[in-house]
Amino acid sequence: MKISVDYDRCEGHGLCAARAPEVFQLNDDFELVHRFAGGTVPPELVADARAGVDSCPVAALRELT
Amino acid sequence: MPRRPDVPAYRPDLYSSQAVQDPYPHYANLRALEPVVWLPKHKVYAFPRYAECNSALLDDKTFISCDGVALNPVTNRLSGGTTLGSDGEEHARRRSLVAHRLTPRALRGMKDLVEGQADRVVEAAVRQRVVDGVDVAAALPAAVVPDFIGWPREGRDKLLDWGAATFDVLGPLNGQAVKAVPDGLGMMRFAHTVAKRRTVLPGSMGDDLLRAADEGKLSHAECPGLMIDYLVPSLDTTLSAIASALHLFATDPEQWQLLKSDPSLIPNAVNEVVRFESPLRAFSRKVVRDTEVAGVALPAGSRVLVLYASANRDALQWENPDTFDIRRDASRQLGFGHGTHGCAGQGLARLETQAMLRALTARVDRIRPAGTPEWARNNVIRRLRRLPLELVPA
Repeated sequence: MKISVDYDRCEGHGLCAARAPEVFQLNDDFELVHRFAGGTVPPELVADARAGVDSCPVAALRELT
Repeated sequence: MPRRPDVPAYRPDLYSSQAVQDPYPHYANLRALEPVVWLPKHKVYAFPRYAECNSALLDDKTFISCDGVALNPVTNRLSGGTTLGSDGEEHARRRSLVAHRLTPRALRGMKDLVEGQADRVVEAAVRQRVVDGVDVAAALPAAVVPDFIGWPREGRDKLLDWGAATFDVLGPLNGQAVKAVPDGLGMMRFAHTVAKRRTVLPGSMGDDLLRAADEGKLSHAECPGLMIDYLVPSLDTTLSAIASALHLFATDPEQWQLLKSDPSLIPNAVNEVVRFESPLRAFSRKVVRDTEVAGVALPAGSRVLVLYASANRDALQWENPDTFDIRRDASRQLGFGHGTHGCAGQGLARLETQAMLRALTARVDRIRPAGTPEWARNNVIRRLRRLPLELVPA
């Protein structure tokens, strides 16, 4: 599973980070850090990652595969 | 518009005073029928379940807003020029003009101010002990939002009435909408005067807008509409969430104790309140190209009704949807909308509601009902009008 982040849309609401802290984090500037950017989310985190994607209130996160 | 023969119809009026007071049984009936249900009274296809609401909100190229999101053609014609009623680049341009001030990132600096204010509101309420929860809920948004938008001091006492009226005219053209027209126009007139006389507070969002117009990024004529765009949904809606939170915790002491014992549940509790009592019941969209939803062919030109408040109670999406439980993962609720048109002010709304819950958990031991709550009648907004409570100090 891969996730794309549309940084133009991301407003830093942090719901993904609350839902899947091992995949998404907000830095001190409320900018989203996607831990597996450019790579693949490990299988054991896929369920959390998907819930994180679903929680994005501005649809900035998309599941690619 | 010819009705599709394979779509069930639901005859009761979702905008009658009965349905507005108690909408959830109607939503349950709608969800039990089909994913797409024809409402003959309003000539609209309703989406009562989560999946279809979610997909429609994400597909803003098929389900457009620029022909209005109201249930009547009059408001839909008038709402050109607003962010709510625009699409694509036009929407992105309007939204970017002010929304950058509303992101959680931009609001970092306001956290202390909002939390301090919330604490003062709760302190005063606890001292009074027996209160109308609606007044308590109104105090923080009223103290924070008009300054933020830059609304001049005079005219503020009318803001709640004007806001409610503006939501009323976003429903069908029923008696409720007709009654609201003078107040809706009152708000528009005032916004025009504010923009013309430049009486906005310096450094505010409204000030930003007028400067952007001076720089040619938008026309001065657009400013009043954009101010209304951000002012109207910022008071009633947040008031609704805070009042519903008070009501839900008063009627469910176990959930209240849970929140008190673990304040880290507060952010999710806000999601659960907005899921359980969604402040905005529904908006419509126009279908701009032939499409298919859950096997139903919807022709271009149809109007659909996205029932946020019903999607948030859909048993296909939520376990025990009619149970208020702050431990469930409510983050994917649709109460703030979703996608491109997702509520631009949700960062501020979350900040305010969380601040109120934080102050309440710190200062209040128990919240007791002290009378019968009453719901306000509005075509779009669900909110309490009266909520007698006793706040037992901690």
